[in-house]
Amino acid sequence: MGKGYMGKVLFVNLGTGQFHEEMVPDRIYEKYLSGIGLAAYLLYDRIPTDADPLGPDNILGFMSGLLTGTGSLFTGRWMAAGKSPLTGGWGDSNCGGNLSPAIKRCGYDGILFTGISRKPVYFFMNKSKPELRDASELWGMDAVETEKRLIRKAGLKRAHVACIGPAGEKRSLISGISNDLGRMAARSGLGAVMGSKRLKAVVLGGAKRIKPHDLQMVKKLSRKCNDAVKESPPLLAGIMSARMGSLLRILPAQMITDGKLYISLLDKWGTSSMNQISVEMGDTPIKNWKGTNEDFGLDKSAALSPDAFSDSVFVKYHCYSCPLGCGGICSGKGNVKETHKPEYETVMSLGGLLMNNDPDSIFDLNDILNRAGMDSISAGGTVAFALECYEKGLITKKDTDGLELTWGNAKAIKALIGKMIAREGIGDLLADGSKIAAKKIGHHSLNYSVHAGGQELGMHDSRYDPGFALHNSVEAAPGRHTVGSQLYYEMYQLWKKVKSLPKADIMYSKNTKFVMDKEKTISGAACSKYMNVLNGTGTCLFGAFLGAERLPVFEWLNAATGWNKTPEDYMEIGERIQTLKQMFNIRHGIEPKAFQCSDRAIGRPPLEAGANKGRTVEIEKMMAGYWEEFEWDRRTGKPMPSAIQRLDIP
Amino acid sequence: MPYSITDKCIGCGICKMVCPMEAIEGKRGKVHTIKSDLCIDCDACGKVCPQESVLDNQKNICKRIRFKKYWEKPRIIRKNCMSCTICIDSCPVDCIGWTFTKDTKDKRAYPVLENEKKCIACRFCAIECPVDAIEMVIPGG
Repeated sequence: MGKGYMGKVLFVNLGTGQFHEEMVPDRIYEKYLSGIGLAAYLLYDRIPTDADPLGPDNILGFMSGLLTGTGSLFTGRWMAAGKSPLTGGWGDSNCGGNLSPAIKRCGYDGILFTGISRKPVYFFMNKSKPELRDASELWGMDAVETEKRLIRKAGLKRAHVACIGPAGEKRSLISGISNDLGRMAARSGLGAVMGSKRLKAVVLGGAKRIKPHDLQMVKKLSRKCNDAVKESPPLLAGIMSARMGSLLRILPAQMITDGKLYISLLDKWGTSSMNQISVEMGDTPIKNWKGTNEDFGLDKSAALSPDAFSDSVFVKYHCYSCPLGCGGICSGKGNVKETHKPEYETVMSLGGLLMNNDPDSIFDLNDILNRAGMDSISAGGTVAFALECYEKGLITKKDTDGLELTWGNAKAIKALIGKMIAREGIGDLLADGSKIAAKKIGHHSLNYSVHAGGQELGMHDSRYDPGFALHNSVEAAPGRHTVGSQLYYEMYQLWKKVKSLPKADIMYSKNTKFVMDKEKTISGAACSKYMNVLNGTGTCLFGAFLGAERLPVFEWLNAATGWNKTPEDYMEIGERIQTLKQMFNIRHGIEPKAFQCSDRAIGRPPLEAGANKGRTVEIEKMMAGYWEEFEWDRRTGKPMPSAIQRLDIP
Repeated sequence: MPYSITDKCIGCGICKMVCPMEAIEGKRGKVHTIKSDLCIDCDACGKVCPQESVLDNQKNICKRIRFKKYWEKPRIIRKNCMSCTICIDSCPVDCIGWTFTKDTKDKRAYPVLENEKKCIACRFCAIECPVDAIEMVIPGG
């Protein structure tokens, strides 16, 4: 009988070519779970404080989740972790596909790389022995071709590959790690870490068994969860949902959101379902966050409707253990023969944020960025920054080699991204994100870089939901839209499991969202803690939208491990992980206050028109309240010794 | 407790050929052994051993099923299937793949036994499927 986890990790020293297996005691899983928690535990004191993120001392971990492979659902996500070259602090990134079980089927909960290889290599593990193999002929190849080539070479259908494209090789600080032909662990710039180590790919073909403590119980819970996924409420047709967005914008009050609705939308359209409705509601930042929904009205956004993307899907794409399948494989759009369906984040960071409504260009760019291994959110955010600098005359045609960087100029945007990937001309300046580019350009250009800690923000406007401003600013890996917000808190429905947490109001005035009270800091902290549990188990955010009762993560954990912990115990584990990640940042010289997101994203100055007119987020108050909730110093964000002791962090 | 081989073994090497994990070692004509850290309890060796010299993880003698056509094979029950890929991932010999049609309204892909000859009847796909969408049957049986 197993415990759901494999009980060991593999360290690979790329400098010496040595492998070192390390057993992880049960008590560590009980304190930190696996995935992101185990990574935080392993990296905290092993990455020296003065380590250059692109140097030999940084450690890059490929981590699986505790619940991955146990028969639970929505638990197929893997995580990359290390010191981020983009923010200088804790870096992690999370992706679906089929890599997460592949890590465990090699017998490990994580495979961690240290050192730097002298020549390009890839890591290969089949049934038993790990190897480092020469990757010289793969260097320079795009991520999709690399993966296809490696699988062909391995002769194993079951082999799963994570790799970098040219962006990671060129150490672009906004590059990610690709798996399953273009799905991307995009954030925190960890592709550059992989590139700096000259590690082109990780190829996993193991077939070990993953054994939960009580498989029948895990499966029983999964069947119930699947029933909840299947009962979907009726949907509005594409254009009607956009109109619904317009209506929701006009109403002064809003109702609590049940994530079941999102699940139905994701089932039919994937994340693209939000393309128009989000713009209409005021959730999507427009024109580098200075525009409004009025600048990108229904007439403009119609070309990016959910149907415009889902119509070209010929087969749905399911990540491992996902009953929903929000992904899709598309053909026949733009110049792309076959590609993953562009996600909402990509569509809007290359669409509304740049005033571009040419869907073909978005299809092309999505594929180009996936192949290059570059984060589409940061790429879009950086291009938006460049367009505004061009508008303000801070960069000119001379700097851009003749490109006319005007809003919505799809051709120029495509050419600019090509330059960023190749680090050619102005592309070299922009390949490390907007904050670093702004420092080089100077002349107040930093005002046009919308970021947190150097990382561009996701496509959810905190002037619509201030919870996004909080998590963009307080997470150890900042600029993150996938942890919490007021909407997410409503959908997680954690109060149904953790009785001390406040229940979200059934109906409330929109203005109350912007009043910073104790309840909001409690719910913000709960989102972070819960997300650490999800990232420790490999669980998908979209599954969490079902609500804590319909997605039985806590019950799955007990059934898979044989533990008898309460939801409160698991939330404490989440708190421990959050505190340890914050301690990592402090150890590496990060001032938590410096991660506060850009003024423009929080309405300083406030917008003069549109859905979010006149709104400002009291971010300092929110951050201080959140820190206090964790027993961190409310002035500095540093964990207090009492918290570290209470959580028994070594 | 992994599988093991008793001294009834004549060293014919058939188990070595069928083992998906390369977990069996031994010289021809000599008693073979199973590396415990690699064995995944798939029972392939037990089904092929002409001497019935393989013990399962409970120390019971594995029954030989001489002809592969009498080995159970997975049958996918589509109405239960979630297309979640768990069965495909669970298969140690890569014999399950995807099938989908471009024309129908149902855009889901479904698992299919792609390579019947490779299947070792380990049952892992059926064991791991959370929604009972796979049953093990003897084809034509």
